[in-house]
Amino acid sequence: MSTQLDEYLEAEIQSMLTDGRIAELGITVQRREHLLVLGGEVESGRRRDEICRQINERFPDVHIVCDIGITRASAPSEVEEIS
Amino acid sequence: MIRIAAVGDVHVDKDVLGRFRPALEELPERADALLIAGDLTRHGTVEEARCFVTEFGGLGVPVVAVLGNHDHQSDQQARVSDVLTESGITVLEGDTTVLELHGHRLGIAGVKGFGGGFAGASASNFGEREMKDFVGTTEVIAERLENALKSIEVDALVALTHYAPVPDTLLGEPLEIYAFLGCYQLGRAIDAAPTALALHGHAHHGSERGRTPGGVPVRNVAHPVIKQAYNVYQLLTEHVDAELVAS
Ligand SMILES: [Fe+2]
Ligand SMILES: [Fe+2]
Repeated sequence: MSTQLDEYLEAEIQSMLTDGRIAELGITVQRREHLLVLGGEVESGRRRDEICRQINERFPDVHIVCDIGITRASAPSEVEEIS
Repeated sequence: MIRIAAVGDVHVDKDVLGRFRPALEELPERADALLIAGDLTRHGTVEEARCFVTEFGGLGVPVVAVLGNHDHQSDQQARVSDVLTESGITVLEGDTTVLELHGHRLGIAGVKGFGGGFAGASASNFGEREMKDFVGTTEVIAERLENALKSIEVDALVALTHYAPVPDTLLGEPLEIYAFLGCYQLGRAIDAAPTALALHGHAHHGSERGRTPGGVPVRNVAHPVIKQAYNVYQLLTEHVDAELVAS
């Protein structure tokens, strides 16, 4: 039986992302017709690759695309005056 | 004039080492202090705390932090705090620190904070033991923030939390989880003192700017929100009256 792209799958992925080694609470999971889109941002490329690898491994029959970005960490160019 | 840099939710582990450092090396040219709004680490381990110190330590400006929920994940928050403190970082939890900067006194009161929700959609201290424990925790933490804020007399007072004191800066997060992202009690504590600025993190998908019901500016400095190594805020700007100068 193939994995259903339903709310339970979404919930299972969310709990995989938060419970274990990954510890990412800010990843979004969106269901498209035949695929699952992972979004949000993490702090390193290694972290993104690990997330996608684990989810692909757990659901080999689901087409998963990884749109997770790496948060930029450059110095700011502006100052905000607080009043 | 005082300039403070701030960021939260950097979630440092070995894989982050070196990512922030180039921008942090330039920080002393841009700001007088760095405030960290919690979630310094990924799982709150001592090893990760050491990584944080390697990345954010020894900057040449004071660094003041509160912990976040991630820093509690391994139940090692006391040891995490020790690692930070030993490296010269000030960790606040219900207390304050005062920095003398350019002849001004900058006071910072900090707590991690907790969830509970906001007006019209908040949890109550009622019912099951677990529910009363949850909201009771929120209330105790907010009270500690209020007492800390009221305990110092300074030129500029900043409230530093991990959880959000207002819903404004949660915009972008699912409405259903607002109650896990912050609580109105923190906002009320901030409004009970002459707070100039409130900084928080935790809401990775939230938005940058808001105000408390009492009018205090609130900034969500979670790294994924500000999308740079840190933001810089200027307080106590000296306004020169141009007309007065002319006459
Ligand atoms: Fe975080
Ligand atoms: Fe957090």
